[in-house]
Amino acid sequence: MNDAIPKFARVGHAGHVNRCLSGLPGSQVEVDSARLALGFYCLGALDLLGVVQNKTSETDRASWREWIWEQQTQGVHGTGFRPSPFATPDSPIPEPYSDYNGPHLVMTYTALLTLAILRDDFSKLDRAGLVNFIRACQRDDGSFSIVPGNGETDLRTLYCAFCICDMLGDWSGVNVEQALKFIGTCRTYEGGYGQAPFCEASGGPTYIALASLHLAPRADDTLPLTRVQRTKSIHWLIHNQHTSGGFCGRTEKSPADACYSFWCGAALKVLRTVDLIEAESHASFIASCQFKFGGIAKVPDHDPDPYHTYLSLAALTLFPPNVPGEGPVPKSWEFGRLDPLLNGSEETIKWVREHAPAKFT
Amino acid sequence: MIPDPPPVPYSARSEWADVVPIPQYEKANPLAPILYSEEYKDATDYFRAVVKAGEKSERVLQLTEHVIRLNPAHYSAWQYRYETVVDIQWPLESEIALMDELADRYLKTYQVWHHRRLILVLSKKAKEELAFIAKILQKDEKNYHTWAHRQWVLAYYNEDALWAGELDFVDTMMNKDVRNNSAWHHRFFVVFQSGVREGEEDRQRVVRRELIYTKQNISLAPNNASAWNYLRGVLDFNKLPLSTVTTFVKPYTVPLPEHLVDLVDVENPPPGKGAELPCAAAIEFLADVYEEEAQKESIDKAVALWKSLAEEHDTIRKKYWEYRIQQALLLL
Repeated sequence: MNDAIPKFARVGHAGHVNRCLSGLPGSQVEVDSARLALGFYCLGALDLLGVVQNKTSETDRASWREWIWEQQTQGVHGTGFRPSPFATPDSPIPEPYSDYNGPHLVMTYTALLTLAILRDDFSKLDRAGLVNFIRACQRDDGSFSIVPGNGETDLRTLYCAFCICDMLGDWSGVNVEQALKFIGTCRTYEGGYGQAPFCEASGGPTYIALASLHLAPRADDTLPLTRVQRTKSIHWLIHNQHTSGGFCGRTEKSPADACYSFWCGAALKVLRTVDLIEAESHASFIASCQFKFGGIAKVPDHDPDPYHTYLSLAALTLFPPNVPGEGPVPKSWEFGRLDPLLNGSEETIKWVREHAPAKFT
Repeated sequence: MIPDPPPVPYSARSEWADVVPIPQYEKANPLAPILYSEEYKDATDYFRAVVKAGEKSERVLQLTEHVIRLNPAHYSAWQYRYETVVDIQWPLESEIALMDELADRYLKTYQVWHHRRLILVLSKKAKEELAFIAKILQKDEKNYHTWAHRQWVLAYYNEDALWAGELDFVDTMMNKDVRNNSAWHHRFFVVFQSGVREGEEDRQRVVRRELIYTKQNISLAPNNASAWNYLRGVLDFNKLPLSTVTTFVKPYTVPLPEHLVDLVDVENPPPGKGAELPCAAAIEFLADVYEEEAQKESIDKAVALWKSLAEEHDTIRKKYWEYRIQQALLLL
């Protein structure tokens, strides 16, 4: 690989997510029921760029923390975070949630990570309520629904439940054995995982499944996967790298999409393989997905969004390119370190593990 | 096309005069605030009001449909709509008819499919559902939600009549695009993961049929990772060694001969005219066969093949092939 890789437009990417944090047009209304996740992608991107402190003001950070805590809500199924107040009726003081504006499992995971990025002290966290909420989301088959009751269920929610347990250092709210069985039913003959039993192997669920298997507490002498399973998973994951340098999410489904750089790349990290990814070709692909006014798109010449911007940054943080040419690697392609299991910068994950668990004094 | 004029706001409709709209709860300075349209604000203010009052009625169905059309990811509106359908015993056929349109329009939205599933559990019209899915897949042949929905319908109802047409259905999809991995995956699900149905009891015959099917597809289009993964899957699931198909694989690991011999060999169909060979997937397969033998001589052969992948036929995975070489040498 001799072609020079263009500059990584760090300032532009920070600008893109900062613009989203300050407001979205009405055409983005679908984000409303996942707004905390969007906040995580934006602030997570700034965190991986190492600019949370100097690209946002203390006033903004304080008001974002306040808004996130406002989404923490209590009620019959325990305590968690809702995506935004989109379904919550106005009232003079916070009311317990109804069946229609309760906490959401995926949003609760992103809320905790975002609060850690904002270096919150977690003194407002209702830990016991959170454990009850996770318990209320688990189904008999081991899977988790996004909200207690009739909500959708797939592997995403299981991963979020596991992450929360890991952050709290408290697994008392889940039936781990049953959950692991559910993950097993999502594995396919290709070596990847589908989002639900019987579904086709795809990058997202495969990362989710492998990370969950590695997060789960287990006896010292047991392995998350057998040797044969691990070999097959590596085979499937590595074959998703496309000749363009980017990753596809499923077999024979091109073109590559920037988000799969993370889902497939992080899954390989979780399996603790040596670096198998062609990092320079990969960086060229991400470079080609950069939008000229900032932000990263799923494919070249597409509109950027915080989701693809964050996941591309996370992938680059896991396997940064060794930029060709004389002299040191240009600063624009230098990254910190990422925790591949919980999906946050190492500093942020250290913070959440220190501050989210209950303190016994 | 002239856009539709904005609908009359609920606040100006006499039939909604009895409802007092409730704005959204918002005290702190929001993160990523959305500049809602007036129409959305109006509809959701009334939605919050009917939810608070617990009203379940036909007009609530109209209101939730309106909210959903403005924001198909509004899962609370979906949830309340479902409970209203059940509560007022709304005809399920008309709900499914509306869902047919919405699934088509918002193909990639989770909630569309989740709601559909809940309604189907009530209506039990599984046969019609498979026909609908087939129609939707015409538009987007690899749509994940749609395939997942088909797999759910089959597994949930698990009726012989439903399974009966599945292999033909897979063939139809495969004839359009032999690289449609969703179709290959579905075939595996139907043949191996859903129990044994009438006419499929002779498993040896089934395995032979699947191997021939896959080999024929490879002979028509050798560079198709879906087919190679399926071949590995069939062997693995039935505990057959990779070497079962060595004779078939070998001609795909070398350049295409100048003079093709026109022979019909069902078990080992040769590469067709114009095939792009050697095929990286075949080289990898053969290397795995040699690795399984675990003898010094065979590992040497595997290493030579991996080297050819790293240096010539599959350079994007150079590091992976070097890793495989290293791992195999460790085994010796």
